[in-house]
Amino acid sequence: MADCWNTDTGEAVYRSRDAVKNLRIKVRIERVTSTAALSQHLQQQVLFQQDRGDIELETLTSQGQTGDNEEEVVVGWQEKLFSQYEMELFQNEAACQTPLDRQYHAEVKALNRTKGRRNHRIFTYTDHDRYTSCLPLHQMQSGDLLTTTKSSPTFLAERMASVRHRRQERRTMDCNIPKTKIINWEPTEEFVKNSHVVNNAMQTMHIMGDLGPTGRLGQKENECLLITIKTDGSGTVIVKPDFNKNKEPYRIVTDRDRREVWRLTVENISTTMKPEEKDREQNMYKDLYVRHKEYLNSLVGQDFEMPPAGILRYLMNGEIVSAKGFEYDNLYIHFFMELPNNWSSLPFQPLSGVTQTCRTKTLEKENVALFSYPFNFEAFYMSEKESEESILQWPVLYFKVLSLDSWQRYRTEGYGYLLFPAMPGKHTVTCHTWRPLQTGTSSVLRRFFIGGSPELEDHSYVRIPGTFKGERLSRFGFCTETTGSVTFNLHCIQQARSFVDAAMLKKRRQKVFDQLGGFSQQGAVCNILEAFQRARRKMQEARESLPRDLISATSQLQIESSA
Amino acid sequence: MAELHIIGQIVGASGFPQSSLFCKWGVHTGGAWRLLSGLKEGQTQVDLPQTGDMAYWSHPIDLHYATKGLQGWPKLHLQVWHQDSFGRCQLYGYGFCHVPSSPGHHRMSCATWRPLGSWQEQLAQMFVGGGPQLRNPDLIYSGADRYRLHTEAMGTVELELGVIMRHFDKYGVES
Repeated sequence: MADCWNTDTGEAVYRSRDAVKNLRIKVRIERVTSTAALSQHLQQQVLFQQDRGDIELETLTSQGQTGDNEEEVVVGWQEKLFSQYEMELFQNEAACQTPLDRQYHAEVKALNRTKGRRNHRIFTYTDHDRYTSCLPLHQMQSGDLLTTTKSSPTFLAERMASVRHRRQERRTMDCNIPKTKIINWEPTEEFVKNSHVVNNAMQTMHIMGDLGPTGRLGQKENECLLITIKTDGSGTVIVKPDFNKNKEPYRIVTDRDRREVWRLTVENISTTMKPEEKDREQNMYKDLYVRHKEYLNSLVGQDFEMPPAGILRYLMNGEIVSAKGFEYDNLYIHFFMELPNNWSSLPFQPLSGVTQTCRTKTLEKENVALFSYPFNFEAFYMSEKESEESILQWPVLYFKVLSLDSWQRYRTEGYGYLLFPAMPGKHTVTCHTWRPLQTGTSSVLRRFFIGGSPELEDHSYVRIPGTFKGERLSRFGFCTETTGSVTFNLHCIQQARSFVDAAMLKKRRQKVFDQLGGFSQQGAVCNILEAFQRARRKMQEARESLPRDLISATSQLQIESSA
Repeated sequence: MAELHIIGQIVGASGFPQSSLFCKWGVHTGGAWRLLSGLKEGQTQVDLPQTGDMAYWSHPIDLHYATKGLQGWPKLHLQVWHQDSFGRCQLYGYGFCHVPSSPGHHRMSCATWRPLGSWQEQLAQMFVGGGPQLRNPDLIYSGADRYRLHTEAMGTVELELGVIMRHFDKYGVES
């Protein structure tokens, strides 16, 4: 009968905030012998047929010789359990070279004086042992990775194996980098090895099993790596192979003349935190976060500046970025904002500005002047009666581009306008400009030599003249010439009290005007509906609370009166 | 109280006459804003690109502001300097941009300009270096007195900023 084995021997990574010294692992190895297999098979058959009561169990229990074929040990983190080989080695004082060896010697002598070691076949290599870092290389050299046996480890593999995986001090990444020595101009060989090669400072522990035949323990060839546990300092634990967790045990096949099969079971028996302690920890964390939030609140305060109800505040942070494609050099821009009806702004708010004069540079066949000029603008919109206007008019920014050269000649280069965007957010707008032309050569000559040029008297002519009343705007007969373009970066923010209500009632915002003006109607209707619902509910409750006979009496009265 | 997180980097600069550049940057806000964590000014390293024109700094910006009002939205101001092989530092440009007010990831190019002196000073600048600088760097982000300056256009600085806003919609702010 074939047992099924667990063939998935990959690593598993666990993360835990608990200290790693609380880790406890139970390891169990059992040799699979023929008698054991047979008795197990028969036992299973008997259990299957137990209800029929045919075969008695007593005759089939296998006893004797189980002492050496299985072992179960509970191992803690970095707990040193000696193997037979190590016990014999460290008993001899002459073999001890390092202080660690001497410590082991003392421990072995103490163990011999008391009842001896509690493990028999299973032993461990801790982080400090000299064999610990050699094991991966040893495994690699035995041809684990590739099928061909002749491949030798690569240069990087050799380097990695010879790097001592020591625990380096934690270097915090904040601002504790030493200011004097950022660059290491003369790195040592050791430094190069440690920093060029992947060096995760991990603490390792190997749990080994001595799988030699009974009575001949203590041979180095029979040692087999059972489990590797690695951890870094911050709560990650890597276990290879993973815990069995109610799946089948792992199989270890010894590769000597007599191939034997052993079964390996690994279990995690670390004590978990009690639920009260967990609750306490959670409460502490919650407390900490609440306190932090209160501290943040106390720094600034809870209030926030809001405009009065029914008023939309429009904030624009913008900058004039550049101007390009103009005829002459040394450009500057003069701009001002215009507010239509129902818009107002603060009294000290500057509504116009002049940039610096900038000499252009050539960028991709065009002359570009970079201004990087910031401006802030804040305006308030008050809606009066909704029925009058259907379209909301946004403010406009009119600008003109002029050039001033070293001879103090100044010329108009172009006029343009920019309509403030209706949607809040970031907008990059490029406005094209034109300048008025006068037919005839005299104006061209004047512009070239002396520097005068025709200008607009009313800047709003660029868009819709202020004096315009009518239906059709006609610019017939007005000559212009196309000049360059100006780029603006605008960041628009809108704020109103009704946005808060809209957000709470989860309505989609359509037009700002709707929200401000029309919303009050919708709000009123909703209020009335709510009031009606409340009154109805009250009436129903009152009705139910009245005694039954009163209701029937009144209904009878009604019937009588109607009859 | 609303909070604003600005997390991003100053990527680099290009378009300047020489490429061995470093940048001094700072963030300026109004009175209602309070810096809760992060450094609001700094200086990048000097970068000399081997190929191409763009000098890369990848300097991190990580700021957390709390505010009581919308005025004084944070603005980022930059000064780009050039360090030559002799170790002399020369101003290459002043630049300015507003921190975006809409949440999300923004890639911005900030243009820079440099003040110009008289033609004698320009001639000397060509040979010896140096050149006029602003006496008061506040001029970069106020804009009121800019009309007195005569400047020339220099390169652009690339920035990538991510903006996260919190509690602004509770106070009816839409951006």
